[in-house]
Amino acid sequence: MSRVARPIPTLSVVLALAGVGVSTYLTIAHYTSPEILACSASGTIDCARVTTSAQSAVLGIPVAVLGLGFFVAMSVLCLPVAWRSDRRAVHLARLAATTIGIVFVLWLVYAELFIIGAICLWCTVAHVLAFGLFAITLVTAPDTLGSEVHEG
Amino acid sequence: MTWAILGGVVVVVGVMVVVFVNRDQTAGPADTTGATGAPGASQAAIAKVQNVPASVLATVGVPSDITPPVHLASSTPAVTVDGKPAIVYVGAEYCPFCAAERWAMVVALSRFGTFTGLGTTTSSSRDVHPDTPTFTFHGATYTSPYVTFSSAETQTRTGKHLETPTPQQERLFTTYDVAALTGSDGAIPFVMVGNLYMWAGVSYSPDVLTGNTFDQIASALADPTSPIAQGIDGTANQITAMICQLTDDQPAEVCNTSSVQHAESSLPSA
Repeated sequence: MSRVARPIPTLSVVLALAGVGVSTYLTIAHYTSPEILACSASGTIDCARVTTSAQSAVLGIPVAVLGLGFFVAMSVLCLPVAWRSDRRAVHLARLAATTIGIVFVLWLVYAELFIIGAICLWCTVAHVLAFGLFAITLVTAPDTLGSEVHEG
Repeated sequence: MTWAILGGVVVVVGVMVVVFVNRDQTAGPADTTGATGAPGASQAAIAKVQNVPASVLATVGVPSDITPPVHLASSTPAVTVDGKPAIVYVGAEYCPFCAAERWAMVVALSRFGTFTGLGTTTSSSRDVHPDTPTFTFHGATYTSPYVTFSSAETQTRTGKHLETPTPQQERLFTTYDVAALTGSDGAIPFVMVGNLYMWAGVSYSPDVLTGNTFDQIASALADPTSPIAQGIDGTANQITAMICQLTDDQPAEVCNTSSVQHAESSLPSA
């Protein structure tokens, strides 16, 4: 059984569920109207400009939907039972997902700043949550991925 | 190792933000228009548009695919502002065709006077030719000894109200931007060159701008062989010829060149 500090499962699942909330909001805005986003629509902060840009979809899949899928998966992988799991694959999946997530976040930040020229506040909230999950997963990796080695 | 990776992510984001902020500070005048500013638009690029070499403009001429304006009837009342013949523009920041046409208007008008406070923006992200880099006339001032420039950008790039046309602009728009003259009612951009010429819509294909940044478009204007120069400089030459007719060929160094004279002779007659 992997051992992580007691607050870790709670903190991580809270971050993941918050991500589900934000990305659900962005997904609804994507399929209805960006005007529903409580966000500035002028100047550098412009959610509508970002969420309607060419970079708002990857291979035809809206980034908001990708984010929703990511946070839903992380919500499952961050359940206390998942943190307690002896299956190395669970912890590897969590680490892989957050690593891919943070690389994607870096690309999205680049796209916002240098391609679109605007920043989406709600997207930034999702980025911070993804970074938080990545940090937790990375910091706890020695405990989660190393435990099986010690026990085996 | 763990903290190095986390720190690395933070540093990468921090560097991107710092570069973005510094680039932003080199862009055009701060706008209050609801426009975001064209990404990467630099003061140097804005200056290039206002100073396209006369030799390049002469080489480009007026390509045959530039849409000609409508010559107004000789009975059309004079269009003046502050005692000088006026170029009137009604458009909107969201409008992709206005975005394309503004480039040529800035090139042409800069041959007769000087813009100050010219900001940059992009057209709507949700229209055809999305996010086309361009100028905005909102907040800009134009001074010229020959003509005045009267502009109204009615909406922001997200469709919010921006400027209310003056009574004169409104009257000209409703009188002349009609299907009988342009093929459709109320199309934008709507431009009148005094009481001589008018048109509604874009004069060249905005396709040539697709995929280019503000700076790339500005730089391409000095290459007479580029499709961008053919479109923008070509349209600017046509506008220049119209304005020269309005100013009785003043200033001579612009209007008496063979290329502008040729462009004037190619304009439609009443």
